[in-house]
Amino acid sequence: MRIFDLALKDLSQILRDKKVLLFLVVMPIVFTLFMGFAYNAGESGEENADSRLGLAYVDPEPDSRLSQMLFARLEESDAVKVIRLEQAEALDSLRRGEVAGVLVLPGDFDEQARAGKVPQLTLIAESNSSEGQSLYQLLRVPISQLMSAVEIASISAEMQASPAEYSPALELAWAKWEAQAGQERVRLERATARVEASWFGDNPYNQASPGILVQFAIMSLVTSAQILVNERKTRTMQRLMTTAMRPWEMVAGHLLAMFGLVFLQTALLVVFAQLVLGVNYLGEPLGALLVSLALCLWVAALGLLIGVLAKSDDQVVLFSLVAMFLFSALGGTWFPLEASGGAFAALGRLMPSAWAMTGYQNILIRGLDLSAAWLPTAILLAYAVGFFLLAVWRFRKMEI
Amino acid sequence: MKIINIAFKDLLRSFRSLFMIGMTVAAPLLLTGLIYFAFGGLSGGDVSMTAMKVGVVNADALPADSPLEAPIGENIRAMFFDESVQSWIEARDYPDEAAARAAVNAQEIGVAVIIPADLSASLLTGENDAPVTIISDPTLTIAPAVVQDMVTMMLDGVSGGGIAIQTVMERQQANGIQPDPAEIPGWVTRYTDWYKDFQRDLFHHPEKAALVLTAPSAGEAESADPIQQMMGLTMAGQMIFFAFFTGAYAMMSILREDEEGTLARLFTTPTERANILAGKFLAVVLTVVLQGLVLMTAGHYAFGIAWGQAASVALALGGQVLAASGLGVLLISFVKTTKQGGPVLGGGLTALGMLGGLFTANIPGGMPAAFQMLANFTPQGWVLKGWKLALAGSAPVDLVLPFVISLALGVAMFAIGAVMFKKRYM
Repeated sequence: MRIFDLALKDLSQILRDKKVLLFLVVMPIVFTLFMGFAYNAGESGEENADSRLGLAYVDPEPDSRLSQMLFARLEESDAVKVIRLEQAEALDSLRRGEVAGVLVLPGDFDEQARAGKVPQLTLIAESNSSEGQSLYQLLRVPISQLMSAVEIASISAEMQASPAEYSPALELAWAKWEAQAGQERVRLERATARVEASWFGDNPYNQASPGILVQFAIMSLVTSAQILVNERKTRTMQRLMTTAMRPWEMVAGHLLAMFGLVFLQTALLVVFAQLVLGVNYLGEPLGALLVSLALCLWVAALGLLIGVLAKSDDQVVLFSLVAMFLFSALGGTWFPLEASGGAFAALGRLMPSAWAMTGYQNILIRGLDLSAAWLPTAILLAYAVGFFLLAVWRFRKMEI
Repeated sequence: MKIINIAFKDLLRSFRSLFMIGMTVAAPLLLTGLIYFAFGGLSGGDVSMTAMKVGVVNADALPADSPLEAPIGENIRAMFFDESVQSWIEARDYPDEAAARAAVNAQEIGVAVIIPADLSASLLTGENDAPVTIISDPTLTIAPAVVQDMVTMMLDGVSGGGIAIQTVMERQQANGIQPDPAEIPGWVTRYTDWYKDFQRDLFHHPEKAALVLTAPSAGEAESADPIQQMMGLTMAGQMIFFAFFTGAYAMMSILREDEEGTLARLFTTPTERANILAGKFLAVVLTVVLQGLVLMTAGHYAFGIAWGQAASVALALGGQVLAASGLGVLLISFVKTTKQGGPVLGGGLTALGMLGGLFTANIPGGMPAAFQMLANFTPQGWVLKGWKLALAGSAPVDLVLPFVISLALGVAMFAIGAVMFKKRYM
């Protein structure tokens, strides 16, 4: 009972200050909406908007047959919007962001190819942007097939010892490649267990919502972990020690308050995401609840540790922010760990925040059932116990 | 002299505070460092990929009268087990599609490649009606794209061989020549050798490849390392965010002194109140300048960031200092106590930073147009424009507009804040 009294006292103390709501609810909602926009940037837009990547096509010899073949293939593409431009004009368009890249063909494209050399086509684009890389990938296949047709034409001309054979063989080989272009030779399928589950490309909040939820659960410690520091500063903790309340009850009371606060925040964010953003946490309600409970318990234990370690309010803020930065970045709440380097990803996957993300993603993106929530929950609980024991150890030392 | 003394005292107090050091220098460096670590910066600029876990189900079998020695599916399978890819692909075999799907769901593998039983037969007849299926974990984007690319290239090689045979034979027949089946292996070998060389050059020898990717700046100046470009923008975003935080936090010293009673004591001394306020303002400006210089130096040596031409950098930093100090003075002039300062700094500056594009400077393609327009109404947005230009190596003349706007905003906010403080304390 004393534990509950202490927890209620902490909660009323924290929630008395209305600015707490800004950190607990308003900021994470604003961040979730913002990150959803960010993930969705360039992918969605208006329903009928042309989402093809702009490509300026610079060809010094528009009469070149190979150039005509390539241009015609690119014009049929659903992914590239190709326009012929002069080089200077094309580079200006690239600078203004009107096209994602400029493809420059060599002046003697046909002659080089016919002579058995490999003509070099240059794609001018931002190599570190996804648009630049996508264009490069999209161009590689048609250019490879065009060069293949050239090679086949050369073989045919040699076999018949007739240079005149080159052109009809080129046309025939290219026609065969064109016929293949419409066939599905590789089929991509995303392994979602439920039909309605979808990748965050369809709903960007499937990534943004759990990411911000985990990040702000840790950030909420800025307010809740200050209680312990304030109790020490105002000597109420020492006064509490003179009562019949045992040290473990005091620790448990504060832990319960922090847990309650983080869980309240998590529940509000889950409900908001479910009702307003269409993030389907309720696709597996028990799984979402288990992961959330375990996450909140771990965050509360972390808060307890911060509260015990910090000597001032400023230190609580600093330690909480450092914990938030570390666990959020390493745990893949800001960007998928797949996109990061090997060592970072390996380290990140060990983080409790990464396990919380995995638990939520199993439900939201992979569409898995309750069984997929057990492992993340168990690992988060193990982390919670570990942080709690550390906090208790420090607490005992502090009191001695 | 008193102005300088007051400013010096404030600076000393600021830099004695662990919290202040943490928030002004350590936090932006920690965040930038994490991103540097995440994207391979610690391995000397080599963005080493996380190893991809690929499962292969090869059900392909040779048709009865096949001229091939081994099924084509075996070549696809072997590609994932090849020694050359072992550093970035961990491949394993699965007996059937169900087992591979279960492994993807259990996250044992990220991608499963299902090679159908009639792949060879389908390719040999030219019907191409037996596609290879790639099943991927829906949280992944890079690994499935890479695997799809590899399989497509392999199938293109096989299809190309088929097209070569069909074309040469059809052209011979068109010219009244009867194709000799004994010549076919020779054509196939020649085509296959060409295709292997072509692919090797495409992926490994850019100087000989049929398609090369070049940065827009190449040719004008040496192209910058993409990691450094990314880190430059990341660091600039963090530096601006924390500069605005520092401007406001440093200005809070006046509230702290008010609460502690030392401000009232100071007012009893023969020091003009205007000088006290001026000393406080000077401390804010110096703190933000010092922070900017420390972060730029650390960014240069730790992350290899080339900030740009000296004059351009000076303009970008100048704009940042003026705008951050001005906004700091303005924000704190509305705040009555240090307790109120927390949400103002946390919420207000975070919201303005978001709108200014500080957290999304590196997003390819940028934010939607409406967000980019909103950035024009925030001081952070204009400071970021200045840094983007400086980092891109632009001449100082290109930075005049963002500098002038940052200066104008800074002066206006400073003036309003100073009037508010004057009303309160004078």
